[in-house]
Amino acid sequence: MTGYAQLDLAASVGQILPELVATAAFLLAVVVDLVSRRRKEAVCAVVLAGCIAGLVLSLAQLKAGQSLIFAGMAAADPLAAILKAVVFLATGLVALFSLGSPEIRMSGRGEYYSLLLVVAVGACFMASAMNFVMVYLATELVTVTSCILVAHAKDDRRASEAALKYILFGAAASGVMIYGISLLYGATGTLSLTGVSRALVSGQVPGLVAVLGVVFVLAGIGYKIAAVPFHFWCPDVYEGAPTPITAFLSIVPEAAGFGLLIRVYMLGFGERMGQGWAAAASLDWPSLLAVVSALTMTLGNLGALHQTNLKRLMAYSSIAHAGYILMGFVALSKTGLNAMIIYIIVYLFMNLGVFAVLIGLSRRLASDQIASFRGLGGRAKFPAFAMTVFLFSLTGIPPLAGFTGKFYLFAAVIDAKIYWLAIVGALNSVVSLYYYVRIIKAMYIEAGETEGGPIQLPALYTALLVALVVPTVVLGIFWGPLAGMTEASLRFLF
Amino acid sequence: MNQIGFVLLSVLAVGSALSVILQRNPVMSALSLVVTIFSLALAFLSLGSSFVAVVQVIVYAGAVMVLFVFVIMLLDLGRREPFKLTGVGRKILGIAAVAAFLFQISASLSAVGVMGARPPEPLPPGYGTALAIGRSVFTDYVYPFEAASVLLLAAMVGALILAKRRI
Repeated sequence: MTGYAQLDLAASVGQILPELVATAAFLLAVVVDLVSRRRKEAVCAVVLAGCIAGLVLSLAQLKAGQSLIFAGMAAADPLAAILKAVVFLATGLVALFSLGSPEIRMSGRGEYYSLLLVVAVGACFMASAMNFVMVYLATELVTVTSCILVAHAKDDRRASEAALKYILFGAAASGVMIYGISLLYGATGTLSLTGVSRALVSGQVPGLVAVLGVVFVLAGIGYKIAAVPFHFWCPDVYEGAPTPITAFLSIVPEAAGFGLLIRVYMLGFGERMGQGWAAAASLDWPSLLAVVSALTMTLGNLGALHQTNLKRLMAYSSIAHAGYILMGFVALSKTGLNAMIIYIIVYLFMNLGVFAVLIGLSRRLASDQIASFRGLGGRAKFPAFAMTVFLFSLTGIPPLAGFTGKFYLFAAVIDAKIYWLAIVGALNSVVSLYYYVRIIKAMYIEAGETEGGPIQLPALYTALLVALVVPTVVLGIFWGPLAGMTEASLRFLF
Repeated sequence: MNQIGFVLLSVLAVGSALSVILQRNPVMSALSLVVTIFSLALAFLSLGSSFVAVVQVIVYAGAVMVLFVFVIMLLDLGRREPFKLTGVGRKILGIAAVAAFLFQISASLSAVGVMGARPPEPLPPGYGTALAIGRSVFTDYVYPFEAASVLLLAAMVGALILAKRRI
């Protein structure tokens, strides 16, 4: 093992401050919702405070070393800390997005904001789980609560349908995962990730049981990150859910899912080999994940080509990006994991950016169709410019942040000598240019209705867009500090 | 003594389980299920597993059965035709399923030897008592326990939001 120090219960409490603060803020938000007159604003303020406190406390854990807490149930290490920070940052931003969103405003309830925090807490559990009991509980917490958020606009038939699809797929994925976990538990007699790894390495686990366990657990995690073949829910849910929730689902469960993937597959199904990691007991899951990665990005990009609805397009785009990020994991190297974390952070800014434009303009746009973006370049200059930046960044065009992320990912894959995957990834990036540019073309080149007049974005959204454009541009030019921070957070593993 | 009690309880459990599927009236089926659950609980008790016995009664005989009876009353099954499978292969399918089930059971039993050729290992003292379970839940498993409580709370809030028309 990688030198985890075991902390006793009392000392463990100090290591889960972000989760504790967020849970406390959730409880407070529920109470505030009952007593306050301006309930939505008050609840949102409490939730924002919780997110900011969680973000600060998570960042403080970055340098706190590594320990196993609560009898080995979870880990407090820099990898968990950085993912928790991502989760709280994204949750806070989405809470802000939601304030002016007509879809959220219509349902007019404060619980919406407090449930965002619960998903964030679940995502933190996912990012730090070291025991399959926690793995399962954390994924369920995120799935169930996300589903409530999707269904939250219950008068909207599309949202209800999306929620039903989400919960059915989620239940099936959880069922398969827990079956895999039960097989592993039966064969190894332990639920702790490190214990499973030890048993796999010692060769006491029958081959078929190990293979089934490793593949079945992928179903639960693959559902969270929308990897092929567990991606079917994604387009319908993205399209049907209220847009702020779509934005939320595109980043928070995904970031936590990748954290869980790293933890379960490296610590649970892998073993340390000198300076690096390898699959335990010659279970060839890295090859399996390489194939999943290639399929995920290819199907995502091909699916996006013919979409006319922007939210559906973004769903396929997020499937494709899950494929890119998986590419980094296949390398099983420090550079690969580093690339994953960098990409998740970069993806947070650019992807939330696209949704911020969509939500900010939602009052003035006829629909989520790409056609309704026609002529926007002339009517809403800044949002259209910001959208262009985000879309070019998603494509991976220098000098934007998306390029930095892709550069690191491709470097890691080529470093690991998996050339075919790098070629598939490069071809996919070219394909993605086509559908992202279609939106830009609609905004600037195609003529739209001119009688609409100029569109004034609410001040909140202008500020949010500035806050998202700046990192998207800056991280494309000057990424040293970010890369240094993510690399330091992974040093303990290698 | 213990053996006789166990056999009696087993007969009662199997008999009432048969009654669950053979009764025509769904409410009688539900009541038979209560008898099954109670006899199982007593069997657990006779094996020295008091906690499981109590949980069996509280959760299954209490909560789950109430839910069953509610569903039966809401759906008003009494006046309808009982559920019928139609189609050509239903007898073949049924026989195949029973054969597969019998094969599974006989294979598992012959693997351990009928009635356990290998004597079971003695349990550590205090195993399965409420004390041991409580201690374990609040020490080794306190983190998942709290995570589960957050999950239940969120699910409750969500159920309220989704089910109530106006809050």
